[in-house]
Amino acid sequence: MSYDSVELGHRLITLMAAAMLVVQMLLVGQRLLPTVIALFSLQSFFLACLAAAVAYVNQAHHVYIAAGLTLLLKVIVMPLLLRRIIRQTDTQEEVEGYLNTPASILICGGLTLLGYLVAHPFSQSQGHSHGSLAVATALFLIGFFLMMNRRKAISQVVALLTAENGLFLAAIALTYGMPLIVEVGILFDLLVGVMILGILTYRIAETFESMDTSKLRRLRG
Amino acid sequence: MSLVLLLLAPLVEAAACGLLRSRRWMERVSLISAAINLALAVRLVQNVARFQSVSAFDGFLYADALSALVVLLTAFVSFVCAIYAVGYFRTDLERGSITLRRLKEYYILTPLFVFALFLVALANNLGIMWVAIEGSTLASVLLIAFYNQKTSLEAAWKYIIIGSMGISMALFGTLLTYYAASHVVGTESIEGLNWTRLMLAASSLNPKALRLAFLFILMGYGTKAGIAPMHTWKPDSYSEAPAPSAAILAAAVLNCALYGILRFHILASRCLGPEFSSGLLLWFGLGSLLIATPFILVQTNFRRLLAYSSIDHTGIMLVGFGVGGSLGPFGALLHMFYHAITKPLLFFCAGNVQQQFGTATFRKVGGVIHLMPVTAVLFLAGTLAVTGTPPAGLFQSELTVLSASVQGRSLWIASIFVGCVVTIFAGFLYHVGHLALGAPRIGMNRTAESWWRLLPMLLIAALTLLFGFWLPSPLLRLIQQAGQIVGGAR
Repeated sequence: MSYDSVELGHRLITLMAAAMLVVQMLLVGQRLLPTVIALFSLQSFFLACLAAAVAYVNQAHHVYIAAGLTLLLKVIVMPLLLRRIIRQTDTQEEVEGYLNTPASILICGGLTLLGYLVAHPFSQSQGHSHGSLAVATALFLIGFFLMMNRRKAISQVVALLTAENGLFLAAIALTYGMPLIVEVGILFDLLVGVMILGILTYRIAETFESMDTSKLRRLRG
Repeated sequence: MSLVLLLLAPLVEAAACGLLRSRRWMERVSLISAAINLALAVRLVQNVARFQSVSAFDGFLYADALSALVVLLTAFVSFVCAIYAVGYFRTDLERGSITLRRLKEYYILTPLFVFALFLVALANNLGIMWVAIEGSTLASVLLIAFYNQKTSLEAAWKYIIIGSMGISMALFGTLLTYYAASHVVGTESIEGLNWTRLMLAASSLNPKALRLAFLFILMGYGTKAGIAPMHTWKPDSYSEAPAPSAAILAAAVLNCALYGILRFHILASRCLGPEFSSGLLLWFGLGSLLIATPFILVQTNFRRLLAYSSIDHTGIMLVGFGVGGSLGPFGALLHMFYHAITKPLLFFCAGNVQQQFGTATFRKVGGVIHLMPVTAVLFLAGTLAVTGTPPAGLFQSELTVLSASVQGRSLWIASIFVGCVVTIFAGFLYHVGHLALGAPRIGMNRTAESWWRLLPMLLIAALTLLFGFWLPSPLLRLIQQAGQIVGGAR
C-alpha cells in the first residue's frame, strides 16, 4: 500500500471521528424524537465508515465484518425498531431536560475537554489514533450525561446507544476492535437490549399514559 | 463434556417451554431441567476436584474451582426456585393476577437467565463473560416487570438503565484490559481476552491501563453486584420481581457479578501487586456495610429489607476479599456459599407472606405465626441464620472474615465490621419478630401452606442447619481451592 493511501486513510479516520462528535453535540440540543433517531443513525454510519477505514489502513480484515454489522444493525435495524416504538406510543417531542439546552451544551463542551485529558496518557503509544480515542471518551461521557438529563424513555435509550458507539470507537482506536466473536456478542446483546427496552417503553407508555420517566418515582428508601 | 451439557440443558428447557401449552408440563420440564443442572454442576465439582481445571472447545469454556463453586451455587438456587415457583405461581393464577401467557414468559425467561449465569462462570474469554453478564440483565428485566404494575415497570426501567450504564463501564474496563495485553498477546486471535492466556502474561501487562481497567470493572460489575453506592436499583427490583426471580437475583446473580470482579482482581493483583485492587475492594465493602445498616434499621417494607441485607452481605464478602491474607478470600467464599444456600429461604417466606396479605409493608402485616405457622417459624429461623447467629454457617464465615481482618490489618476495620453486623442483627430481628409474632390481623383465617412451597423451604432450612455443623469435605476442599485461586495467586 502506498504511503499516500495510508495518509488518506488516517485523515478519513480523524474526519469521521470529528463528524461523530459533531453529531453527538447536535443530539444534545435536539428535541424532536424522529430527528434524534435519525442523528443516531447518522452517527452510526460515520462509525461504520471509520471502522472500514481502520480495517483498510491496518489490514485488519476482521474489522470489516464489525463495520458491516454496525451498518446493518445500528444504521438500519435499530433506528427502525426505535421508530416503530415512537409510532406505537404516539410521542414526537422530548420535553425540556432537567437542565436547559445552553447549559447542557456547555457541560458537554466540558466533557469533551475531559475526554481529551483522559485520553492523553494513551496517546504516546498510539500515534495516529489519539484523536479518535479522545472523541470516544467524549462520546461515552456525553452519552451518560444525556441519559441522566433526558426524560423520555426513547431518548434515554438513544443516549445509551451513543455511549455504546463511543465504546466501539474506543475499541477500534485502541486495539482495532475486540475479537470478532466478542464483537458479535456485544452487538447481539445491544439488539436484544433495544428490543426489550422497546417492550418496556411500550408498557410504560400504556400504563402511565406517558413516556416521561420522571413520573417513575414511586419507589423510595 | 459436562461444561457443554450445563449450557445446553437450560437452552433446551427454554425451547421446550416455548413449545408447550399446558402449565403442568412447563412445571415438569422446569423441575426436571433444574434437577439435571444440579446433577451436572455436582459432576463439574467432582471433575474440578480431580483435574484442577476443565476446559472444552479449545479452551473457549474453562472451569476451575472458583467457577465450579459459582456454577454449583447457581444450580442450587435455581433448583429450589423451580420447586417453589410451582406453588407460588399456582396461587397467582388462581387469583387471576397473572395469565397463563405471562406464566409461560416466566418459564421461558428463567432458563435463559440461568443459562447466562452459567456462561458467566464458564466462559474463558473475558469479553464473552461480559456478553453473558449483560445477557443475564436482559433476561431478567422482563421478569422484574412481570406483574406489569406501575411500580414493577418503574423498577424494571431503573434496573435496565442503571444496569446498562454500569455494564458499559465494565465493557470499557474489559477493553482496556485487552489493550493492556495487546502488545503481548496480539490483537488478531480470539485468545487475546482469554483469562488463562492473560494470567500467563500477567506480569508483562501494561500496568497503567490495567489499573484504569480494574477501576472501570469494579464500578461496572459492582453495579450489577449492588455494591454501594451503585446499589440503588436493588431494593426496587428485589421488591417488585416475583419471589423466585428475586431469589435468583439475590443469591445467584450476586455471585456471578462478584465472580466477574474477582477474575480481574486476580489479574490485577498478579500484575500490580495485591495492594491496589484489594484496597479498593475493602473500601467499597466497608462502604456497602455502612450504607446498608441504617436502611435496614428504618425499613418499612420486608422485600426491600431483604435487598439491603443482600447489600450488607456483598459488603462482608468484599471486606473478606479485600483484607486478603490466607484467610480472607477463603472466608469470603465461604460466606458466598452459605449466603447463597440460606438467602432463598427468606425470599420464599417473604413471598408467602406477601401473597397472603397482598402487601409487603411491615405496618400492615402481623401475627403471621397464627396464619401460616411453618412460614413464620422458618422466617424467624432464616432471619437468625442470615444475620449470622450460630449454629448457622454464616456465623462461621463472618467469624473467618473477622479474624482475617484482625490478623491482616488494623483493628478499626474489624470494629466497623462488628458494629455493622451486630446492628443489622438487631434491626433485622426486630422487624421480622414483629411480622411473625404479634396479634393477627382481623378477618384473616389460618391458611394451608402447600407442599410445593414448604418442600424447598424445609430443604434449605435442613441444609443450612446441616452445613452449619458439618461441611462435607469435597465442598470444603472446593471452597479452599477457590480461595487459593483468589488469594494465593500472588
